[in-house]
Amino acid sequence: MKIMICDDSMFVRKKMKDAVNAADPGAQIIEAANGRQAVEKYKSEKPDLVFMDIIMPEKSGVDALSEIINFDKKARVVMASSVGTQENLKQAILAGAYDFLQKPIENEDVAKIISKAKED
Amino acid sequence: MFTQFFGNYLLRRQLVTPQQLSEALTIQKNTRLRLGVLAINAGLLTAEQVEKAHIEQQRTDKRIGDVMVEMNFLTREQVEELFKTQPAGHLLLGQALVDKGYMTNAGFESAINSYKAENSISDSDISNADEALAMKLISNFYKFDADIRSDYIRSYISMLFKNLIRFIGYDFAPLESVNSENIIRNVVMQDISGGMNMSTMIYGDDSVMVELASRFSGEALDDYDEYTQACVSEFLNLHNGLFAVNISNDKGVELQLEPQCCYETFDMVGLSRACVIPVNYSFGTVNFVIQL
Repeated sequence: MKIMICDDSMFVRKKMKDAVNAADPGAQIIEAANGRQAVEKYKSEKPDLVFMDIIMPEKSGVDALSEIINFDKKARVVMASSVGTQENLKQAILAGAYDFLQKPIENEDVAKIISKAKED
Repeated sequence: MFTQFFGNYLLRRQLVTPQQLSEALTIQKNTRLRLGVLAINAGLLTAEQVEKAHIEQQRTDKRIGDVMVEMNFLTREQVEELFKTQPAGHLLLGQALVDKGYMTNAGFESAINSYKAENSISDSDISNADEALAMKLISNFYKFDADIRSDYIRSYISMLFKNLIRFIGYDFAPLESVNSENIIRNVVMQDISGGMNMSTMIYGDDSVMVELASRFSGEALDDYDEYTQACVSEFLNLHNGLFAVNISNDKGVELQLEPQCCYETFDMVGLSRACVIPVNYSFGTVNFVIQL
């Protein structure tokens, strides 16, 4: 499975990589540090699953999600944020998010999402 | 949170030194609560009775509970009830200070009773340990004005201390709010917008920021570099996110977080309403800034 991790924090990217490797040791991981890079890399790499932070410089996660969905209606993009309010959830769902991940990220939650994506 | 504020009280009253408090906070997790401290806290025995029981125990080599029953200080049922008590943090702190010889049982009894009386805090307040107690402790300690801005600052501090306990460690004591120096170093900043606008920051010496990052990430870090900054930034982001969720649920106010920024130095002159909240950990002082 090809999985893209998009977060402006190198610490969060490392934690996410550890979580993905634990859940799927064979996964091919691609990294992006902001929304702009995420859109570019999605178009060139076509990952099976994306974990996308919402709060990022240059281009927010929600804006990047909208562009990715415009490019590929079947894109599976999981939005991750420390702000798990109803409003943020609503925005993510309206923009076409596959799922929502509340920070701090737990390995177990990442594993469940990867497992769900494999079954879909 | 009661433990942390009580720790500050012990410092202010010069009943312990900062080093003794740090040491006791660090070792308290491995401290076994003794019957005497539990009985004093429950108001069943005085420190004097506990001392008498301990002297008798040394003479007879019996278990302390049996000695207290034989001396008619406690009933067997009371001993059993006390042993079932969940060890509250401030009692563990007290026990650690007594075990290290930094305080006597009598000194601890006097300090805890004075602190509870001065802050109008009852035993049931402490055992409930709810948001009302947190607000009371914060209001009594920081003396903010009674306005909406202060309401938000109190909520922010309450969430901050809970998150420090959850993600960094409980071995801290809050220090009084101070006026910051103009130029601060090693700054991690995040603005919050939406229903209200505020700026939040964390800053501290290199070694303090490294230890803060190490504890948050669970990794052994050595230098204050880009990765360390990313760890501290994520702690601030996580805390601010949880604060935003809380405000959305409690007050119906929606907040958005902006991306974090890191500065080697930052001039505080423009932030005239900044409130600096220093927190003393065993590894040094971490400063939190709220500008609202």
